[in-house]
This record gives sequence, structure tokens and C-alpha cells, in this order.
Amino acid sequence: MIVWDILSDGLFAAIAATGFGAVSDPPLRALPSIAALAAVGHALRFCLMQYFGADIATASLFASVAIGMCSLFAGARIRCPMTVLFIPALLPMVPGMYAYRTVFSIIMVLQSLGDHAAAEEYMQATLLNGFVTCSVVFMLAAGAAVPIFLFRTKAHSMTRSKRK
Amino acid sequence: MQSTDSLRAKTEFIAEYATRLMGSGVHTSRVVRNSKRIGDALNIEVRISAFQKVVILTAVDRTTRETLTEVADVPSCPISFELNAELSALSWDACDLHLPLGELRRRYAAAVAAPAMDGLFVLILAGFANASFCRLFGGDMTAMCIVFSATLIGLFIKQRMQAAAINHYITFIVASFAASMYASVGLVFDSPSSEVAIATSVLFLIPGVPLINGVIDIVEGHVLNGAARLVAAVLLIVCIAIGLSATLMIVKNNLL
Repeated sequence: MIVWDILSDGLFAAIAATGFGAVSDPPLRALPSIAALAAVGHALRFCLMQYFGADIATASLFASVAIGMCSLFAGARIRCPMTVLFIPALLPMVPGMYAYRTVFSIIMVLQSLGDHAAAEEYMQATLLNGFVTCSVVFMLAAGAAVPIFLFRTKAHSMTRSKRK
Repeated sequence: MQSTDSLRAKTEFIAEYATRLMGSGVHTSRVVRNSKRIGDALNIEVRISAFQKVVILTAVDRTTRETLTEVADVPSCPISFELNAELSALSWDACDLHLPLGELRRRYAAAVAAPAMDGLFVLILAGFANASFCRLFGGDMTAMCIVFSATLIGLFIKQRMQAAAINHYITFIVASFAASMYASVGLVFDSPSSEVAIATSVLFLIPGVPLINGVIDIVEGHVLNGAARLVAAVLLIVCIAIGLSATLMIVKNNLL
């Protein structure tokens, strides 16, 4: 059952990344790698959160570093810059529910200005959800960029054809 | 003035190349690096500063020490990873194969003219993507189906409005309202995950590329550009929130 959970999580993340990636016109040869990266990253985050009790920001950081590292190898194989691979792969990890709850709470704050206690509660929810959303997005992008700093030369010559 | 003409031609090409990359959603350090690499291949030294709307570059001819400065506007074109990959590869080919300017121009034109992915294909892929996204947030089968069709409608509206060159803020508000309003039909079915359906129905609009590029630019030291990208992305997110809010105002009594 655990294995099934992890696999299905990876599968749905792969479909999500391929579709969201398609909106930004990726090279066709990159789609399989994008799907694989997203599956690995999202399944890793799922495991960390579900079985190791990590919080969503920390788990996202580990997952995005993993995606960044894998994109280093995948990109060199198919002559694609790392960002082309890891940006779509990160998209399924954008914390959509937290973002939604932030918006919902903002509306509810404005709707309950007359009721002080309720307004305060919604204000708290706004801050909490907004803070989580921002930290996760930052962790995702910064984590995926780590391999660019560690392996500067390799990361900068991904699209170079093999020496003749 | 043979040399001046050739320097001018090279500089104009590099300016066009750099602005095209900036417009296609490539992070700043790559634009700077690629442009300098092409300059090296053409035996000129390129000093460049790139901004969100404009690129300023000075080219120095290595043999004659002549200089030429070019200020070029960044075109507003759709984000394209394909161009990112192809034009980056072009810069390496220029450097490794010592391609002349004519050949570079020919390859550049070919890369830019390559057709984008088919709109209908993108629409269906995005529909499945958003439905899977809904599943990841704990939505059930009903919610997934609702999100699939909501995404088709929302993205179709967005594509049409973009083709008609309507202001992108308005486009985002309308698309987000349409998708979330459609998704709120889940409330009729009394589905337990109808809230998840409303929340995920607008997520295909999230400007993930500028968001992530913005953070990359900032951590790489291009803080101004990074901040500019993040502000642009946040404005679009605000528009998504406005469209979603309109829906929530209408249906909120069913959600509480």
C-alpha cells in the first residue's frame, strides 16, 4: 500500500509537470525527462512529509535539490539547459492549497470586519498560509539552483555538442 | 568604413539575440553569458546589462578597438523553453565551430521561426495536468473531472484573449473567474472535495516560470531583475486572486 501511494504520487506529479510544462513550449525531447524529474521530486517530498515527519518547506528543499541534481545529468544527455528541465518539474510542488487558503482568508477578513474575533482569526490564517506559500516557493527555486553553483562549468555547458 | 559596418552588423545581431532570450523567459545570467560567448566567437568583446524591458550592450572589436553601443527593446513574446534550449545551443556552436555571422543569422532565424506546440494539444495536456494536480491535493474522481473541464475552459479563454492581444491582467482575471466559477458546480453535487476543485481549477494560470526565474536571478546576484520578475509574477497572481475572489464571493456561503 505504501509503495502504491508513493508510485501514484509520482505518476500524477509527472502528468502535472508535463502538462504545465507544455504551456511554456518546451522542446519535445525534454518531455520524458521533465516527467521523470517531477515524479522523483514529488515522490521524495511525499515520503519525507508522510513517513519522516518533515515540514513542507524542508521537504520541498530536499526535493528541489534532488530535481536540480538529476536535471544536471538529464540535461547533458539531451542538450537542454537545466532550467528548461527543472522549472516545469518544480511546478507540481507549488503549494496551491496554501495559496488558495491565503486568498480565501483575505476575503473573509474583509467580509467579517464587523466581527472582531472572526476577523482576527482569518487574519491569522492569511499570515500563516501566505508565509508557508512564500517559503515553499523560495525553497523550490533556491534548492534547484544549488547544483548550478556546485557544478558551475558543467551546468553552463549543457547545450554544448560533444567535442568532435 | 568596412570594419565599422561589420562591427555594426555583429552588434545588431547580438542585441537581437539577447533581447529575444530576455523576452522568452530566460534568466539573466544565461542571457549575459550566451551573448558574451557569441561575441567571443565573432572576435568582439561584449559588455552587457540586461533589464526587464531593455538591453544595453557595448561591443569592442578586439583587433581595431572600435566600440559600438546598442540599446534594444525587449520584445514581449510568449515564454519558450524551446528557444531557450536552441539559442543556447547556437551560442556553443558559434563558439566551437567558429560559425560566420551569416550562418549564425540563418540558424537564428530557423530557430525563431520553428512553430510552437499546437494549441489544442497544449490545452488537453494542461487539462490532464491540472486534474492530476487536483488529485495530489486530495481531490476525488469527481473533483478531477470538474478540474479537467474547468482548465479546458479557462485555458481556452486565455489562449483566445492572448491571440486577440487583450491586456494580460484582464486576461488573467477573466480566465481565473471562468475556471473557478465553472469548478464551483462541484458544490451542486455536494462532493466532499469541491473546495479542492475550486482551489486547483485556477492553478494552471500560476506564472511559475517568472516566479522561479526571479528567485534564480536574485540568488545569482541580478537582484534588480529578479525583483522585477517577481513583481510581475505577483501582479499576475493578484489577478488570479481577483478572479477567484469574485467566484468565492458568489459561492462562499456554501463553503463555510
